[in-house]
Amino acid sequence: MARLTIDRVGKSYGAFRALDDVSLEVGDGELVAVLGPSGCGKTTLLRQIAGFDKPDAGRILIGDTVVSTPERQVPPERRRIGIVFQSYALWPHMTVAENVAYGLDVAGVKDPERARRVNAALSLVELDGFADRRPALLSGGQRQRVALARCLVTEPSLVLLDEPLANLDVHLRAAMEREFARFHERTGTTMIYITHDQTEAMALADRIAVMDKGRVLQAATPTQLYREPADETVASFIGEGMVVPVQVLSVGDDATCEVDLFGLRVRMRCANAQKAAAAARACLHASALRIVEPNAAGLRAHVDVAIYQGGHFRVEAHVDASPDHILHLTAQEPCNLAPGAAINVAVDDGWIIPAATKD
Amino acid sequence: MKVVSRRSFVVTALVVAVFAASPVAAQAPKGKLVLYTSQPERDAAQTVAAFKRVQPAVDVEVFRSGTTEVMGKLAAEFAAGQPKPDVLLLADAATMEALKKDGRLLTYREAKVDGLDPGSYDADRTYFGSKLITTGIAVNTAAKTRPAAWADLAKPEYKGQIAMPSPLYSGAAAIMLGTMTARPDLGWGFFEKLKAADAVAVRGNGAVMTAVANGEKSYGVLVDFMAFNAKAKGSPIDFIFPAEGLPAVTEPVAILKTTQNAAAARAFVDFILSDEGQKLAVSMGYIPARASVGMPSWYPAGAKINLMPTDIPKVVQANSENLKRFAELFGN
Amino acid sequence: MAEAAGVRGRAEDYALLWSLVLVVAVLSVLPLARLLLEGIAPGGALSAQALTRVLSSPATWIATRHSLVTALGGTLLAVLIGGTVGLVVALTDIRGRNAYVFCFVMPLLLAAQVVALAWLQLFGPSSPLLAMLGIAPPLGSRNPLYSAEGIILVLGVQYAPLVFLTLRAGLRALPQELIEAGLAGGGGPMKVLRAIVLPLMTPPLLAGVALCFVSCLGNFGIPALLGIPGNYLVLPTLIYQRLAGLGPGALSEVAVLSLLIGFIAVIGIVAQDALLSRRDFRISTASIVARPFELRRWRLPVEVALWTLSVVVLVLPLLALVLTSLVPAVGVPLNLATATLDNYRFVLFDHAAAKRAFVNSFGLSGMAAVAIVLLAVPLAYFLVWRRSRLLRMVNLVTEVPYALPGVVLAIAAILLFLKPLPVVGWSLYNTVWIILFCYLARFLVLGLRPVISGYYQLDRTLEEASQIAGARLLRRLRTIILPLVAPAAAAGALLIFLTAFNELTVSALLWSSGAETLGVVFFSFQQGGDSNFAAALGVLTVIVSIALMLSTLPMAGRLPQGVLPWRD
Repeated sequence: MARLTIDRVGKSYGAFRALDDVSLEVGDGELVAVLGPSGCGKTTLLRQIAGFDKPDAGRILIGDTVVSTPERQVPPERRRIGIVFQSYALWPHMTVAENVAYGLDVAGVKDPERARRVNAALSLVELDGFADRRPALLSGGQRQRVALARCLVTEPSLVLLDEPLANLDVHLRAAMEREFARFHERTGTTMIYITHDQTEAMALADRIAVMDKGRVLQAATPTQLYREPADETVASFIGEGMVVPVQVLSVGDDATCEVDLFGLRVRMRCANAQKAAAAARACLHASALRIVEPNAAGLRAHVDVAIYQGGHFRVEAHVDASPDHILHLTAQEPCNLAPGAAINVAVDDGWIIPAATKD
Repeated sequence: MKVVSRRSFVVTALVVAVFAASPVAAQAPKGKLVLYTSQPERDAAQTVAAFKRVQPAVDVEVFRSGTTEVMGKLAAEFAAGQPKPDVLLLADAATMEALKKDGRLLTYREAKVDGLDPGSYDADRTYFGSKLITTGIAVNTAAKTRPAAWADLAKPEYKGQIAMPSPLYSGAAAIMLGTMTARPDLGWGFFEKLKAADAVAVRGNGAVMTAVANGEKSYGVLVDFMAFNAKAKGSPIDFIFPAEGLPAVTEPVAILKTTQNAAAARAFVDFILSDEGQKLAVSMGYIPARASVGMPSWYPAGAKINLMPTDIPKVVQANSENLKRFAELFGN
Repeated sequence: MAEAAGVRGRAEDYALLWSLVLVVAVLSVLPLARLLLEGIAPGGALSAQALTRVLSSPATWIATRHSLVTALGGTLLAVLIGGTVGLVVALTDIRGRNAYVFCFVMPLLLAAQVVALAWLQLFGPSSPLLAMLGIAPPLGSRNPLYSAEGIILVLGVQYAPLVFLTLRAGLRALPQELIEAGLAGGGGPMKVLRAIVLPLMTPPLLAGVALCFVSCLGNFGIPALLGIPGNYLVLPTLIYQRLAGLGPGALSEVAVLSLLIGFIAVIGIVAQDALLSRRDFRISTASIVARPFELRRWRLPVEVALWTLSVVVLVLPLLALVLTSLVPAVGVPLNLATATLDNYRFVLFDHAAAKRAFVNSFGLSGMAAVAIVLLAVPLAYFLVWRRSRLLRMVNLVTEVPYALPGVVLAIAAILLFLKPLPVVGWSLYNTVWIILFCYLARFLVLGLRPVISGYYQLDRTLEEASQIAGARLLRRLRTIILPLVAPAAAAGALLIFLTAFNELTVSALLWSSGAETLGVVFFSFQQGGDSNFAAALGVLTVIVSIALMLSTLPMAGRLPQGVLPWRD
């Protein structure tokens, strides 16, 4: 049974279409990340799931229960979900323990059961001993953990996380990422993780839904998104893919095809339905590009800039055959490439982006 | 001569006695009496207390405020269709005339008006003056010069030193305005001169008294009892009887047609007009409506105060015109 | 099923909303409607006579212009004084802060007429203060306060505490880090003030401005004392004049004039709403409250300036009142021989009405303050967070009973409640309960405005988080929202209590034996020339109020921060 079903949900604010025919299914126990740049609609989607806004079209189901339609919505207090807000939303007039215990108070759980569960939640987030502190005196990371404890103490079936790591220091982020991963493993809670940071999404999610301009472009596993992006936007977003024009010369039986890339013959992966085409687009990743000797098979290019990144260089070069197209790849230390140097780039792999079907 | 048999005499006497007694018994005032009045607070309390001594079975409920407030409340009650008061005791006859014209007042033919000046009560017996309140010139005892007549106030030495109650807000002052502007020796010229002397028209006699007693203004147009009561308590204030005479109001009492307790209402009017009620007025510092009960202690012994006659119907008729003209004259 | 429960939950929300709307309708709309009826259909027959008479009279428009001038001028002055004092008290390290706030708020305790009278005496030729300073104007010169400028001055000083209270409640929510960010960005304190603090304080400031404007518009006592002598009329005094002059026939004209005042008040509030809805003033961090700027060498001069202001505004009128209360009669010079406590004896022991008045005023003001705040918190929830056209109308309509002169509201109440209530047959007329009704209707806005500005500063995710935790609306209001808007709500309650305690014009028409209020007894004494009794009563009122305010101090520790403005 899917824990969460979003079925063709639409939402407009005046002329602005915030959500456009969005569909997504989240299985029980999955951690799905909703990934996209600011303004893509992911927060709007979260508020729809939570019940703070109502949809103009479509339905939302939690389990088998329809919770949102344009006509009727189950109010948020009845949906039995948990949310970790971006600003944590800790109540300043309550102590940490009171914050965490709130959901239990509402449900009528009394001491000693209540105290036990609160302490267990605080231990889970490693905040034992903080019970009587006030939120104003906690650091960002500590508040984050209180918010998480508060969310989990009522054992909800679905947890929404709204950019939870956005306000944390970089080194803290890595630690919290591991925390989340551990929680997910231990508790098996279904989680929807909203973020604009793809490394987070890739690290944590079972599947990622990429959103842009109110639409879900592709929902798939991180690997699939990286290796087989469904359109150009996804391709250029995930893993900083480079979208280049190619000519598909022939299609093989094994989901590969022979393409012409700026005059270079390359074998690339493609979808089964791919046909030969005079004008197609391919997605290249830096990991598939190598600098080779001048007389090997490769693309002639000139270096624009080589940026040291600690142990390796990020090299950006424009293709001689088409100077508008910039490729970037990694070169190991030592690397003596100065701007303007001529290089030869071998292409080992690529993916033919399926043509958009007009329906 | 027919011999009246003893038995028929006794029967007749009994019948007469019963007949004479029963109106009294049937009409013995009791129950609730609602009074709306604009008398000063203490005077209202004393009047009610004295009435209760005479009619202990009557429970009096009083609403006391300025004339404007009382009339406003009454207006609202008329508009809502259920006026509450049984009796009114207001400052001036002009207000009563207006109520009478609206058909709001009950006629009380049997009121005992003997000894009262005919000008102090309504010819149709709808309202009756309870006392005489004159308006004269109050002066702070520290003032260097004293006016002897109204016309003196226009002299240069009094400029900027005069306070008067505004007729726009005080019924008594409106009567004063109507009375004085109708006289050839004062007329509107007098008020124009007052305006030229920078006289200030404040809201009510209480404000005038406070201003003069405090020394803010050395001279004031003020009602008699206020000046004398303050003087008795030690305030540095004196009262002058101007040569031309003093305008007066009668603070009439009246019964509303919609009264719920006509018997008690009539008893109240009777009390006000009775010797006891009049003596009470004297003890509170007022000139009584019935001169035979005596005069308040401040009244100059042997002398007779020169009262300006007031033609009430004429004053009432000219009232709105007068007020408009006054407002234009004293506006900024 | 969850869906049915959802429907039930929504139904509860709607039930609360509609019962609130009903209460507001009864309190605010009903009196207005009855007035309107009187204006266009006096005596039951439709007639445009009163309407045309009033609107075509030049006196109406002159008074309207005067009203606007004095209201805008008074508001401006009040914002300058109250705003400056509020910022200095909340954001700098002056000493004696609690004592100062106490003293600054106290003038609200003094009836406007008392203050105006004291100022008149201060500026008059017989003023002992000016005589001492040697600048007493010569006898006979016109008192400068009898003018539009005088009215504006006294109005501004009278209502500065309104702005102060709402602003201070708002400043409590200002976190330290916002100011630090501004200072770190290179700005000096003045720049931080201009660029960060003031913009964020827009909701409380605007709430104070709106309250001030409407208060000045509807104020009767000050223009009555300072404007009537020069026939400088504003709408409330024009109404009073009509009542005085026309007697029973005046009601329909009075009704039309009142609706004019209400209309102007509503325009002011619409403007305020428009300004507030444009921007986002929410402060979503939960950090510690801003600690004060250091004044260093400016501290002493600023403290001196503040206390001088307080002396002029509070101490001098109080002193005048005390001195008047100690003399046996008006005008008797005060010295050891003449000083007497007889006035106090009379007021306390001989005058039964005064004692009843204390009990009545205290009870009515307290009940009004508590009831209104309990009504305002859920009402403001819907007004701010569930906007709709109906709710915006509700918002506007609550302003009008406060803007109307008290005498007009009283008349409307009389018209409504003269006859016993239908069905239950109770009669409110001539009881304390009709006065309470008018207090609730009139002062609702005093509680609502500060609470609304409190909501504007709240981050809604705090409520959403409690929704997710499963709490229904009433619980959320009780456990999350009420504690967070408590400082604003308390500012409102205090305002209501102080204003109701001293008010006069409403109860002047509605009281009856047994239902006297302090304002009414005071007014009666003044009118009768017994200003020494009035002064004694005034002093006793102030003493009782101070005692009340002091009595809250021991509890201060247990109340949420900021509830009592004179406790940090």
